[in-house]
Amino acid sequence: MIFALPWIPLLAAFFLLFIPANRTQTLKQIALAACAVPFLIVLYLISQFKTGTADFQFVEKIEWMPALGISYQAGVDGISIVLCLLHAIVSLAGVLISNRVTERIKEYLFFYLILAGSIYGVFTTLDLFVIYLFYELTLIPLYPMIGIWGSKNKEYGAMKLTIFITTGAVCGLFGMLLLYEKAGLQSFDLIYLTQTLRTQPFEESFQRFLSPFLLLGFGVIASLVPLHSWSPIGYAVAPTSVSMLHAGVLKKMGPYLMLRFALGLLPAGVHYWSPYLAALGAAGILYAGYAAIRQKDLKYMVGFSSVSHMGYVMLGLAAMNSTALSGMVLLMFSHGVMAACTFALIGFIYDQAHTRGIQDFGGLAKKIPFISICYILACLASAGVPGFSNFASEILIFIGSWRQYPVPVGAAVFGVLITAIYLFRSVQSIFFGPFNPRWNQLKDAVSLEEKLPFILMLGALILFGFWPHGLLHLMQASIDAIAQPAVSFSGVTP
Amino acid sequence: MNPMILLPEWAAFFSFLYLFLTVLYSKKSSAVTFPNTALILSAVVAAALWIPGLPQTGSAFGGQFLADPLAIFFKFLFALSFIPIIQITREYFRNREERQEEFYLLLFLILIGLFFLVSAGDFIVMFIALEIVTLSFYVLTAHPKTDAKSIEAALKYLVLGSLASAFFIFGTALVFSQTGSLNLMDTLIVYVFNPENLLVNLGLALILSAICFKIAAFPFQLWVPDVYEGAPTPVTAALSVVSKSAGFALLIRILFYVVPSVRIQHPIFFIALTIMTLLYGNLGALRQTNIKRLFAYSSIGHAGYLLMAVTSGDFGLPALLYYLIAYGVTNLTAFLVIIIVEKHHGSSQLEAFRGLAVRSPFLAGIFFMALLSLAGVPPLAGFFAKFLVLLGAIKAGLPGLALIGALLVAVSLYYYLGVVRTMYFEEPDSKSPVPVNTDSRVFLTLLAAAIVFTGLAQPVFMNWIHKIVRS
Repeated sequence: MIFALPWIPLLAAFFLLFIPANRTQTLKQIALAACAVPFLIVLYLISQFKTGTADFQFVEKIEWMPALGISYQAGVDGISIVLCLLHAIVSLAGVLISNRVTERIKEYLFFYLILAGSIYGVFTTLDLFVIYLFYELTLIPLYPMIGIWGSKNKEYGAMKLTIFITTGAVCGLFGMLLLYEKAGLQSFDLIYLTQTLRTQPFEESFQRFLSPFLLLGFGVIASLVPLHSWSPIGYAVAPTSVSMLHAGVLKKMGPYLMLRFALGLLPAGVHYWSPYLAALGAAGILYAGYAAIRQKDLKYMVGFSSVSHMGYVMLGLAAMNSTALSGMVLLMFSHGVMAACTFALIGFIYDQAHTRGIQDFGGLAKKIPFISICYILACLASAGVPGFSNFASEILIFIGSWRQYPVPVGAAVFGVLITAIYLFRSVQSIFFGPFNPRWNQLKDAVSLEEKLPFILMLGALILFGFWPHGLLHLMQASIDAIAQPAVSFSGVTP
Repeated sequence: MNPMILLPEWAAFFSFLYLFLTVLYSKKSSAVTFPNTALILSAVVAAALWIPGLPQTGSAFGGQFLADPLAIFFKFLFALSFIPIIQITREYFRNREERQEEFYLLLFLILIGLFFLVSAGDFIVMFIALEIVTLSFYVLTAHPKTDAKSIEAALKYLVLGSLASAFFIFGTALVFSQTGSLNLMDTLIVYVFNPENLLVNLGLALILSAICFKIAAFPFQLWVPDVYEGAPTPVTAALSVVSKSAGFALLIRILFYVVPSVRIQHPIFFIALTIMTLLYGNLGALRQTNIKRLFAYSSIGHAGYLLMAVTSGDFGLPALLYYLIAYGVTNLTAFLVIIIVEKHHGSSQLEAFRGLAVRSPFLAGIFFMALLSLAGVPPLAGFFAKFLVLLGAIKAGLPGLALIGALLVAVSLYYYLGVVRTMYFEEPDSKSPVPVNTDSRVFLTLLAAAIVFTGLAQPVFMNWIHKIVRS
């Protein structure tokens, strides 16, 4: 069952190659099915998920390279099932949006499905080597997707994004290899490694030496300031559904792997570096927030906004206690859905208007009411207004990290204000004020197919805004298991 | 002596002889049948190695000829690499009014030379086999007689190659002066008893320098870009795959079988060599505008990774052998695409690849895959090769080296993706499709499948390699 998650999209991608490019309807249906079926599987898995245990569930295993201790092992715990849900929602919404691509759609959907499948691979696999394999595999489709279907400056943006993330990935790979060798277990099995290292951890000096490779390596894709510069431009030039998947889900792989590898396997090392991580997170919140205020292009603004929001995630990670970590994972989910929704909305407008300048619009609320309401809701969520799951997660992070890092938390709370400034300014100048007659031709989303992705994403945000417990109780036991050894180093009980 | 241990050599020799006699006695040697015959014969040589129970191990001519598992591994590698190389040659001569028989003859001569080279148990046999190979390469490089670039390349190769040969033979003489024997095992014995002997050490250093010339390791790599660019594409392909593999076969023979202590006692030399080669190849490739020149620098970069495996010693040896397979498959795929595009466009500048994704999605897709494999992206063969090499370096206690190697993967991705950019993002000069013949289409499909298979079925290869290494 769990193997089906990555392999349905991957095999569907391969299958697409054999369908003639002019049968676009068939291509689109296959792609839609390849994202919808995993979505249903994820819902089924959640319904069968046993809460209250930190163990990995639905574990399946295929031996691959026994000599090196590599096997294709898959399974989920409370953390990864939440991220699978995030990916299921965003990838389903994304494929509906992708179907609007007109040029070279076959290749586009091929790359899209590879991307979607390999992200599932990262979240469901429990073997360091295979995780890395899927992780690198996500990078491959991005380069042609951004380069071919992107907008202005796409080649530069595509190359910058690929090189930055690959550099981070190889640092992470190096760290993983060192860990494998030092552990001396001849195994890349994540479950086995986690259990062993919990009872017999590495000496502290080695953990201190090793954890920066993992934290910074995977920090690149989490757009940890100052390694974030690929992110705004990458999102700005990427086609809509790539921006959605990238800002929404791919970016969450960074914190996820930091949580799994760095915090799960090297708690003492992370504890040593966590003040720096918290400082970088706070710096990111303020700096990227300020940068977002200064942007004239809507997509750049949202790009910087996502960098800023990842600062909260880093702050939650640095606190290393159960409250902050639950907030962090919840924020990864909420921000993922919210960012994907925002990019989808911007893409909807851009497809018709061919401009993204914030000042170019005005008074659109009358012309395209549905899109306007969705955008305003997404902004409210992003700004951390109660009623959306973003609020619940940010509160948890603030409460959890307050004792250790009062100054960064102060900065982060101030960051919420900054977020409100740039978001509501954009709302004001795009949707309100005098109507710009240039946009008389603009069409609203009318059919259900057009509305569905937005309803899906905003619905999830509101549902878990009022009922955060739904996600929190899924992940509680797994978070506690990671936080337990970590708390013993921080010496602070939450 | 068991005559069957010479089976691969016999197969290659009789193929050569058959082609030679065809050239001599066939009244009108046809431009169609001859290349076909060559292709079939190359397949026959490869098939001869698969006969059950064969090839057998043993030694012949008083230890001058060794058919040990290592030699047989390399014979497999060479024989299998030769089939695509012949196909590249066929593409090279397609629709060309030119004598081509000699080209194929020399290729088969190279194959014979390579077989003896990896089986040499004696410095003189090694030298002679090496000379057979390099002399044939000089002639092949100069084959387009009217092309100034080709002549220049051949001359450069000849002058520097001769220097390397001189190093080799002088080194052999120095070793002989102390050991009184040319046999590799006698050298081992003398070295074990007297590792401080200046002349033996000097001789070995000279021999290793000559081999470093073959594998294009820093600082003996200066000939590579010019020769790779000027030589006809089939020759470039052969140089980058079989010639390099042969160099590593010698390096393994000397550093792992004859005098392992050289490697163990002076690791700093090998570490420096590895770092410089890695940096030179990967940084040099960044600004190339000719695809063959780009591949020249990239092949230097790959030599760096292979040297890293050598430096890692016993931990790196299996990785080294696997890397050679992965690199060979991938590079030959790439060169088959290059020759088709080069023939169609008439030049090997990067512009020839502009908009290839529109003109031939098939070629562009295969080339994309080959480039990703060379860059070391999963789940392709190149990724597993780099992974094993890095793991070997870490196991050998050289994490710094592994880190440099890992970071250079990101650098190499920049120039490989530069080619992808040209193919996918730039507008084509003309919309006309690039035709691909059916036979090349089959070859490319098989090779692409091999790139994936070599990666995913890595345990199959590793089991075989571990058996070889253990012996």
